[in-house]
Amino acid sequence: MSFESDLLAILPRLRRFAASLSRDRADGDDLCQAALEKALRARDQWQPGTRLDSWMYRIMRNVWIDEGRSRQRAARTFAPEEAGEHVGHAGDQDVEAHVMLSDVDRAMHALPDEQREAIALVLVEGLSYKEAAEVLGIPMGTLTSRLVRGRGALIELLGEAA
Amino acid sequence: MTDIDEAMLIAWVDGELDEVTRRRVDRAVTEDPALAQRLETHRRLRARLSGHYAPVAAEPVPPTMRSLLEDSAKLVPFARPAPRWRNWSIGGAIAASLVLGLGIGRISDGPAGPVTVSNGVMVAQGQLASALNSQLASAQQEGPVRIGFSFHRKGGGWCRSFEGSTLSGVACRRGEDWQVEQLIPGTGPATDYRQASSTDDRITATVEALIEGAPADAAEEAAAKAKGWR
Repeated sequence: MSFESDLLAILPRLRRFAASLSRDRADGDDLCQAALEKALRARDQWQPGTRLDSWMYRIMRNVWIDEGRSRQRAARTFAPEEAGEHVGHAGDQDVEAHVMLSDVDRAMHALPDEQREAIALVLVEGLSYKEAAEVLGIPMGTLTSRLVRGRGALIELLGEAA
Repeated sequence: MTDIDEAMLIAWVDGELDEVTRRRVDRAVTEDPALAQRLETHRRLRARLSGHYAPVAAEPVPPTMRSLLEDSAKLVPFARPAPRWRNWSIGGAIAASLVLGLGIGRISDGPAGPVTVSNGVMVAQGQLASALNSQLASAQQEGPVRIGFSFHRKGGGWCRSFEGSTLSGVACRRGEDWQVEQLIPGTGPATDYRQASSTDDRITATVEALIEGAPADAAEEAAAKAKGWR
């Protein structure tokens, strides 16, 4: 098994993680592609015998955070203080090029990043608290409090019937 | 009113509660319809989210991503570094020398350290041995050593993974001793995130290589302890 075929084997899960972090599937695939490129460049930093999926979750999350920062900078520069309905949707000029968002996509997108990534790793990817805390580099207690707050917000956004 | 909080309910849904706490929540839920409703809400939320994103993982991989990987595999066929940690006995020896070099614990001689060498194999002693003998992963107490998993190894016998600030690793029962199968530097007092996570990955890999079936649950673990891990 080569590094690449190992990556290919976990790629469906990586795409799912990217989709749950991103506003929609198209953004998710852009993120996934960027994370793959970064992983291939950084392949020497991966220790064989350790878990490739955890390593990739970390890389993808870092790419996502970096892109989020530059998106926010762009939003501040080009779209100052307008359109309350667009809050949290920086760079919405291309919104029509994207598929319609479902309730779940919209609710996930409304969460603060730190809650969304915790929810994505545990509820969508099925990681244990310990694994998720390691991917995010935070203590377990911090993870669980983000999970509690994130879930409370999602239940509110999606209605009591969740 | 019960003492079951939101964090416990969601830990129940996420499968993160130990047996004792899970039973406590179960009992509280049967007695309190409002609590049962909240638990059900959390269960539905998790099911809805995982169900929503599940189709993405079932789709075929997009051609651009597939060809990115295939092209890369053609360009650098031998780029994968040697599997340094694949063999746990070598890994243990390297880790042991690291520990000696740092002066944290004495491995090979003297009664003070957590590990000694007996008949050519590493054996736990002192605090580490007593933690392996008596501590339960399902009822973790404060102490220098934390038990991760208790599990049956292939070919028979009990093994346990452990984590401490100085040393972490895996040990298997051999007669009256705990033979150390893997030894790596511990998490350290001020935990460096990268080191802590790679440590865990190495132990996970060892457990996965040794384990037969699933790790012991709380009842199996307590029964094994009562029988002296034989």
